Order: sequence, then structure tokens, then C-alpha cells
Amino acid sequence: MAALPVVKGTLDVLVLRALQWAPMHGFEITSWLEQRSASALEVEDSAVYQALYRMEERKLIEAEWGVTENQRQARYYKITPQGRAHLKAQTAQWLRYADTVTAILTVAPKQG
Amino acid sequence: MRRLFKFPWRNARDIRADVDDELRFHIEERTSALVAAGLAPDAARTQALREFGDVDDARRYINALDRGTESAARRKDYLGELRQDLAYAFRKLRSSPAFTITAIVTLALGIGANAAIFSVVNGVLLRPLPYPHAEQLLKVYQANRSAGNLHASVSPLDLDDWRAQRTVFADIGGFWYSDGASGVDLTGDGDPQRLSAVFITPGFFTTLQVGAAEGRLPREDELVRGGPDKVVVLSNGFWQRQYGSSPSIVGTHITLEGAPYQVIGVMPRNFAYPSDRADVYIPYSTITDDMIPRIRPVRILDAVARMKPGVTMAAAGAELNTIAARLARQYPEDAAWGETTLVPLRDDITGNVRAALLVLLGAVAFVLLIGCVNVASLLLARAGVREREIAVRAALGAGRGRIVRQLLTESIVLSLAGGAAGVAVARAGVGALLALSAGQLPRGADVHIDGTVLLFALALSLATGLLFGLVPAVHASRAALHGTLREAGRGVAGGARRARSVLVIAEVALAVVLVVGAGLMGRSFIAIMKVDPGFRPDHLIAVNFTISTTRRPTGWQQYYHAVIDKARTVPGVISAGATKDAPFRGNGERDIFGPPGYVVKAGEDPPTARMMHVSDGYFQTIGARIAAGREFSPTDRAGGPHLILVNESFAKHWFPGEAAVGKSIDMAPAAINGKSEPAQIIGVVADIRQAAMDEPARETIYENNMVNGRVKVALVARTAGEPLAMARKLREAVWSVDKEQPITSIETFDDVVSESMARPRLLTVLLGAFGVLGLILGALGIYGVLAYLVSERQREIGVRIALGAPARSVLWMFVGRGLALTAAGLAIGLGGALMLTRLMSGVLYGVQATDPLTFAAVGSILLAVAALASWIPARRAAHVDPVEALRSD
Repeated sequence: MAALPVVKGTLDVLVLRALQWAPMHGFEITSWLEQRSASALEVEDSAVYQALYRMEERKLIEAEWGVTENQRQARYYKITPQGRAHLKAQTAQWLRYADTVTAILTVAPKQG
Repeated sequence: MRRLFKFPWRNARDIRADVDDELRFHIEERTSALVAAGLAPDAARTQALREFGDVDDARRYINALDRGTESAARRKDYLGELRQDLAYAFRKLRSSPAFTITAIVTLALGIGANAAIFSVVNGVLLRPLPYPHAEQLLKVYQANRSAGNLHASVSPLDLDDWRAQRTVFADIGGFWYSDGASGVDLTGDGDPQRLSAVFITPGFFTTLQVGAAEGRLPREDELVRGGPDKVVVLSNGFWQRQYGSSPSIVGTHITLEGAPYQVIGVMPRNFAYPSDRADVYIPYSTITDDMIPRIRPVRILDAVARMKPGVTMAAAGAELNTIAARLARQYPEDAAWGETTLVPLRDDITGNVRAALLVLLGAVAFVLLIGCVNVASLLLARAGVREREIAVRAALGAGRGRIVRQLLTESIVLSLAGGAAGVAVARAGVGALLALSAGQLPRGADVHIDGTVLLFALALSLATGLLFGLVPAVHASRAALHGTLREAGRGVAGGARRARSVLVIAEVALAVVLVVGAGLMGRSFIAIMKVDPGFRPDHLIAVNFTISTTRRPTGWQQYYHAVIDKARTVPGVISAGATKDAPFRGNGERDIFGPPGYVVKAGEDPPTARMMHVSDGYFQTIGARIAAGREFSPTDRAGGPHLILVNESFAKHWFPGEAAVGKSIDMAPAAINGKSEPAQIIGVVADIRQAAMDEPARETIYENNMVNGRVKVALVARTAGEPLAMARKLREAVWSVDKEQPITSIETFDDVVSESMARPRLLTVLLGAFGVLGLILGALGIYGVLAYLVSERQREIGVRIALGAPARSVLWMFVGRGLALTAAGLAIGLGGALMLTRLMSGVLYGVQATDPLTFAAVGSILLAVAALASWIPARRAAHVDPVEALRSD
């Protein structure tokens, strides 16, 4: 099955979800996304970085340089309280949206 | 989290490097992950790059975003630091109230004085006149270059021609107004009153583009002879005083000069042209030929003109000169008047106070500068105390810029507090200034503390804060970098001492300039006070009124003399007389005459002199000295020979080295009416200052009012006792001759002289106050530095005394130091004053701007003050107890 393109606007939520439990650097995030989606999502890594900086500007996440287990310097991203609120709201909205779309698409049309 | 450290602010290059690092890290991690999964390194890298997508595009996008994020964060951080700095500054300032209050008071006085003077400058010189497009308004004068008279009034006939032939002017108008001379009698409404009137021509109001506040302004047809011109417009002030601002007065008739005039309108409150003393505006057409002949040589009107939009002054002047030249060719009377002079109306109104105001503005600026230096010096002293605290902050990682910023925040908090208090000072100051300068200031009504003034005060406060804060702040931060924590910081203290010495020198120099300015003004005030006005103002009183020719077409000269005679019989009056223009209340008329042997040449104007009209006994009454001959006597009456007196200036100019008495001059040189009118000089009067105390007498001819009379009368009386006590009796004496006679005013000459001195006195008082303030602040500065020096070198002094140095030599060591600083400041200050006081020459009288006496006196005063200011701390040094000094610290 071919990889799915990411629906516009959902990448931010996915990245926030990645950061929900611990700060990560960019590579960890892309790896996490690939793992979780079992490579089913077609996401260019550059888009993830763009999303990260976009959300940093909107103060949904914060960035700070840190050191990896291998003693390499990496830029770590951390979700802010604002980011958490955003994630919660967007998640709820996304689920309702998906339910609605699913309902429409799966209920058999009424016969005339 | 794995927080390493917080990076300081990143610039664009740092951001680029950060982004590159991050992206490189990602690619490398992915590559090694793929290698670990079994790919060849090259293939792994290629795949990592492919998975990443467009690296350059991402880099650009990320870079731009990150820069925005960075600067937003920087702003936020900066605000946070500012809040921190402010809180710290407030805490710091509260903890040393003596310093804080001294600084704020110094600054409040300095900023307040500046704001007060600036609000006067702003209202009088800077704000546009209260008319639409006031920049288009001009004052127009007729010019006679051959006579050297470039600012003459305008003939009504010439004005009509200018108006008719104009093309680049929206309108041109004229008016006759002369304080005390142009007036009308108001009767039938309470006590008879003399109103101050402005006689206006068509175009006056339309040029200014003002409208009436109530009713309307005269129509064109109401302003010409033969038209329905018995109309009057009231000034707002008169409307308020006389009619309680009742709108119902509009449309009614009032009696002026015995005739009914319809009140058609009231001017707006802020309209004060040509004077705020004007009561009524009346068509000039109501003035008949027997009052003022309507002929070209009678140049009596002031003219105002409004240029059409976009017209330059040069173009306006060119057109008026063309018209004037045409009239000069057309009319022989205008032959010499082929030019005009244009002045922007605002400059014309404010011209004579400009110099004085700018001098004051300069002086207060110096006061503020001295104040700044003082506060800077206080801050330096404090910086010494705070060295340790600042060093701790530096050690904790505060950069130099950060420390400077924090100290500057403190200075600016101080200066803003000073500025806020200064506005209150300015408020009081403006009130006092306006009261002190009553009647001396054109546009006084436009002076108040408005947004512009507040903005000025704010800008001044900020600039002040930076000015006095910068040197100490930079100094303190440098000290911090030198690591004061380790050692006591001798070198730093030395640096602060040097900085403070420089400040003291600057302060002395500034004070010198200020005090020299004050000294020059004081000297010129004394010079004015010493002027012999040519009469004795004490025990002299004037009753001013005008005889109505409408009510008294004939026989008014008998009436005039009856009034003088009556005044002479009043008990307490030693002598009485009358004149048209009392000293400082009018400058006579300017008229032509022919000296002996004078022959009129075509195209050349005859000489002119001031004509004054006086009664017999006038000179004796005012205490003038008759240098030769005699004054008029009651027996010199009309019908006899034409007799005149002249003043000494006239006699010296026209009869040098010979007796003027007995000579004859021609009062009507043939050019005008074809027949000469010889008049014999019977006496020479010592010069009388007529226009003002600081204006020398002009060549003057005195006419006998009984022969050649004028209806404007200043009845003067010399009294045995207090002159003001005679006011009521004199008024009653006038009314006992004619109970309908309106009286304009009664005033003593002590008051008149005092009023004429008001401007130089005001300048002297203000500059003197500023000078004293500067001197005190300067002395405090010297004292402060030396006191600090003494306390700092306590131990060294102790050693010296212990080693046998006499107290006297210690004393002189410090006094000498103070005097050395003063001498340096003095040298710079005197040099500066030499350059700057030249700008004052416009307001000085009888003293050069480079007056050596003033400069020498200021130098000695400053040295004396400095010696005293140094001596006090030096004496303390001389009395240091060596045992105490060595034990302490």
C-alpha cells in the first residue's frame, strides 16, 4: 500500500503528540512518527522541521540545545502549556471530524 | 532536562549556524541509522537526503521563522529586564532619600524653568497666529529709501490703490490703532468712557479671515465713505466687561462720539489683533477730513496682506513694489515712496521680544546644564560607594552593557521624576512670568502649558537623564570590569576623581557664562536706571482724556485751558500743564519742517522732526530743564507770532555752536502748500526721553497747544503730597468744567516709568535669579568634590600632619586644588561668555556685550565663591587628628 499523504494541518498535532511525554530532538521526532505510523504516512523530514519552527514561533513548543546520549549536540524541543492545550483541542476536533467523515462514508445511502 | 546554558542573544549569523547544525545532525543521524540497517554509507546518505526533502527550501523557511521568534523573545526579555531594572532603581532611590530628593529638586528646578520659558517661547514665537493659514499673512510698510525710512505706515489712498491693483494677494486691509490715541467716547451708558478703537478699512477682517463670534462683521459697503458706516464690532473683552457677554446687545445702537452706531457683531475671545486692549472696531471711513485728512502724504494706517496660496514673499514683494513704483510716478506726493517692506505678520507682532526670549531660553538651558553636572557629580560619588555592589553583579555575569543600562535606568527614573515635578514648577513659573511681564508680552493669551510643552519637558527629561547618567554609568561599569572585588580599587577611585574634576570645571565654566549674562543685564539695567529722563517723575500725575470735536466743534481750546486753570486751583497741586503725548505715552507726530534757508528740491523730502503739543507751564510741571530762553506763557495766544520750543538735540543738530533761541524755521516748507510759515524758537528744552527710558530723545519741536492744538490731552500736575491721593480731586476738577467729559485714565509717573522699565527689569530679575542659581550649584559642586577628596585622603593627611606638616600647608593644599579647578573653569567660561554674550547685545543698554568690568567682576566673584567652597572642607582637613586618622579604616 502506498504511503498516505498527511492531511493539511495535522502534522502539527502529530508533532505535538510526539512531544507530549518527553522533549525530543528533530531526528527523534521523525523516527517516532515513522515508527508510530508504521511508515504509512508520507512525511518529508523537512516538513517536520518547518512545523517545529512554526510552532516555536507560536509558542506551542520551546527549543533548547542539549546533548544526546552519544554526546552530540542537538536541538531539543519541549511542549509548552500552550502547546498542550492546543494538542488537546486539536485532538478532540480531529477525532470528531474523523468520526463524522467516517459516519458519512460508511452509512449506506438511503434508498429513494 | 539537559539544559546546558542559556545562549546570549543570537544574531542572524548565529541563527543560520544553528539551523545548519540542526539539519546536519539530522542527516547524519539518519545516515548512520540506515548504515546500521545495512546500507552502504553513500547510498545511506543519498536516501537520508531524499527522505528529508528540499533542504535549501526548508533552511530558508526555518531561518526566517527563527529570526522572528528570536526577536520576539528578545523583546520580551528586554521588557522583563526593564521591569527588573525599574524595580531595582526604585528600591535603590528609596534607600537613599537625601540623594534622591536633592537630585529631583535640582532637576525639577532646571526642567521646570526650561519648560516655563519654553512655553512662553512656544506661545509667542513658535505657535502660528490664530488665523487660518497664518503663514500667508504679511505686515506691509511703505518705504522711503532716500529718507532711510523702510517701515513707514501706509496712506489710506495708496492702500486703496494697492488693493485695487493686487493680483497675487488674496486681500489687503488696513487699520489705524494707536494705544491711547485712537479712541471714541462712549456716552449714554453709565459714566462717559473713552474706548480704545481700531479704525478699519475694507479688507482688514477678510485678510485675517476671522469671523464674528456673535452677529456679523461689516460688509464692504459699510466700510467706505458715504456708505452706511455707523456700525461697530465689539472686542470680546469689552463685550464681557460692558455688557456681561449678553448676545442681545447685537443689533442695538450705542452712542459713540455723540452719534448712534449699530452694534453688528462681537469678535471671538482669542482675537487680539492689533492689541488685546482694543475695545471696538469701527470703519475708518467714519474719520472725517477735518480729523485726519484723506490725502496721500498722511501715512497713518497699518497694513496687513494675505498672499494667495503658493505665492512666495518675493513674488508678493515684487508685485507691491511694482504698484508702489507706479503710484510714485503718478503722484508727486508719493515720489519718494516707490517701495514697500514686507514682514511676516508673526515676526512683526513678536519681533521686539524675540531677542529677550531667546536670551532667557539660553540662560535656562545653562541652569539645567549646571544642574545636570551636579547630579552627575552626585552619581559619581554614589558610584564610588556602590562599586562593590556593581562588581558583584558583574561577577554574576552581568555584561558591561547590562550594567550601564541598569544604571541609566536609574538616571532616567530620576530625571523623569524631576521632569514631572518640573511640570508643576513650570505651571507656577508660567503664571509668575505672565504676571511679571503684564502688558510686555505680545500674544500673552497664547501662552500656556499644552501638549507641545509637555512633550518638550518629556524629551528634555530623557535627554537630561542620559546626559547626567552616561558618564557615571560608563565609569561604574568600567570599574566593575577592573575587578573591584579583589582590591580596594585605588585606580578606579582616581578615575572617578578625575571625572569629577572635569565635571567641576565644566560646572564653573557654565556658571561663568550664566553669571556674565546676568551681570551684563544687571549693568544695563543700572545704566537705564541712571538715565536722566529729562523730567522728574516723582509727585507727578496725569489725567488722560480726549476733547470731543463733535460735541465741541468750536471753542474747545478755551475749554482746554479752562480745565488746566481749574486743575491749578486744586489745593495740593503745585503746578499743572498739559501735553498731547506724556513721556512714555506717545512719541508725538512726525512732521516736516524747513530749517533756515531751506529750499525744497524736487524728489527730495524735507527734513522731519517730532512734533509735540504742549501747554504753558508744562515743562515746569514735569520738571524739565529749560536750557535757554523760556517756555510758553499764558499770554502766547493764537493770533500772535508763531512761537515754538525745540529740544537740545534739535538745537545741536540744526544750530551747532550757535544760540537757537531767536532763530526761525519754516513749519510748512513750500513743497506742501506753497506758503511758508515761519516759527520763532523762544526756548530750548533739555532732552526728554519720550519713547522709552532706553531710547535717546529725537529731534523735537514743541508747538503751543493754544495755537496749534490737539484734542488728545494728558493733563499733568505736580503735587505737594502723594500724587495718587490727588486723582479724585483732579477728576472732579475736570468734571466741574464739563461733567460729560470722558476720562481715559489717571496715572502717576512713578507707575509710568516703572512700567517702561518692566521689560529690562524682568530680564534682569530672571537672569539674576538664574545666575545666582548657577553660582550656588557651582559652589556646591566644588564643595562636594573637595569634601569627598578630604574624606578619601583622611589617612594621607593624618600621615602628613604626624610628620609635622603645618595645618596651614594642608589647608592650602586643598584650597589650591579647588582654586585650580575653578581657574580652569573660569578660563573656559570667560572664553565661552565672550562668544555667547554677543548674542545678547540686542537686549543690552549702555554696556558692551564684552564689557571688561563685568567679566572681571564675575571672575573675582567666582574665585571668591570657589575659595569659600574649598575652604570649608579644607579646614576640616587641616584639623584632622593624625591619631584618629591613622587608627581608622
